[in-house]
Amino acid sequence: MIKVRDIVALLDAEVLSGESKLDEEVKSVGASDMISDILALTKPGMVVLTGYTYPQVIRTALVTDLLGLIVVRGKNIAPETIAYARENNFLLLRTRGYLYSSCGKIYATGLRGSDAGK
Amino acid sequence: MPENNKLARYAAIFEDIKAGDIMSSNVVEISAEKKIAHAKELMKIKKISGMPVVDEKKQLVGIISIEDIIHALEFNKINDPIRKIMSTQVVTIHKGDSLATVVDKFENYKYGRFPVVDDEKRVCGIISKEDILHGILEKFNLIYIHDQKRTSTLNTEYSAITGEQLKTEEAKFHYRIDSSDIDAAGTGAAMLKQFLTGKNFHSDIVRRVGVATYEAETNVVIHSRGQGDIYFFQDEDRFIVRVVDNGIGIEDLDKAMKEGYSTAPDYIRERGFGAGMGIANMKRFADKLVIISEKNAGTQVEMIFYLPTQTWPLI
Repeated sequence: MIKVRDIVALLDAEVLSGESKLDEEVKSVGASDMISDILALTKPGMVVLTGYTYPQVIRTALVTDLLGLIVVRGKNIAPETIAYARENNFLLLRTRGYLYSSCGKIYATGLRGSDAGK
Repeated sequence: MPENNKLARYAAIFEDIKAGDIMSSNVVEISAEKKIAHAKELMKIKKISGMPVVDEKKQLVGIISIEDIIHALEFNKINDPIRKIMSTQVVTIHKGDSLATVVDKFENYKYGRFPVVDDEKRVCGIISKEDILHGILEKFNLIYIHDQKRTSTLNTEYSAITGEQLKTEEAKFHYRIDSSDIDAAGTGAAMLKQFLTGKNFHSDIVRRVGVATYEAETNVVIHSRGQGDIYFFQDEDRFIVRVVDNGIGIEDLDKAMKEGYSTAPDYIRERGFGAGMGIANMKRFADKLVIISEKNAGTQVEMIFYLPTQTWPLI
């Protein structure tokens, strides 16, 4: 079983919000910068890697019941985005890794996306 | 595009619908031996402008219209039997005819309605253009109407899908969409989702409502240039979400329907919107979806979500 804290260690990520979720199990993972793709293609409980940092990303994640978001490339995140995540105790991580490499590291642990088996 | 071309195009998409599926079976017919005066009264009471005429075996023998009655009044024949003045050249539709055939009839003969008959030529229903529309709405997940004549449906309190009355003051949830603030897009959907989560509805339907409403709300903010509202209604077995705006309407619905097509400007795309998936996502997450739009008169999105049945069979 892979927990949020394992992903945090793997990507050397900062935990910006949702500290209480560190021991939850990560079951599937995705990556997208498009709101509509997150809305359409994710499954509840997923962790999504993104380069998208507007507050909307949190709203989108909450509407789709994601477990958490990982912002890549060490991007600056608007304080409103972090505040919004904290208000909702939503898991928000940030890694310096780029999207491709970060996805690769997670994929190597055996975790798959919402298209697994298709 | 003229009305009839449009109908013909829809017909190709909805080929598997049969006349019997969409006809109104509640048809008022009259015996050919009755007096014309009788037909006049019946049409007045039923508020109809024409009726199929049948013989003693209930088989269709003619049709009588208001024009025939005016004619009879003019020549003082109002007490004659109907068979004397009815039109016997009746264009009928067979209940097994395809929608395409039905549409052809509307195109080739300029009548407002056609009687539907069975194999024994007995009248079993009647079809008007409205029945075609309702039939399609009932049967399919999605239809959009982009038509000047639909103003009667746009901005009314009747459901475009089920025809039931939806009074905005009876909405269980309402949110006024702030179209001037792109960063607030989705707030209403998030609040609606929170509202439903608080009522302990199943997380799957709550998520579907959230996602579909999010897309509809975002469309209002990005595209409408007008003011919008989200209304949520609950019925016994379903949720109805209505997202309406008074904005510019959808210019080309064919294109808007295509996945990947978007008219969103760059600053919107930069925010992760404008993937051209909005309508596709609404369709994906709602059980039924109707979009009614008219240029410069706004857009109305209506979505139905069926609640999961409470009683599961034991296995």
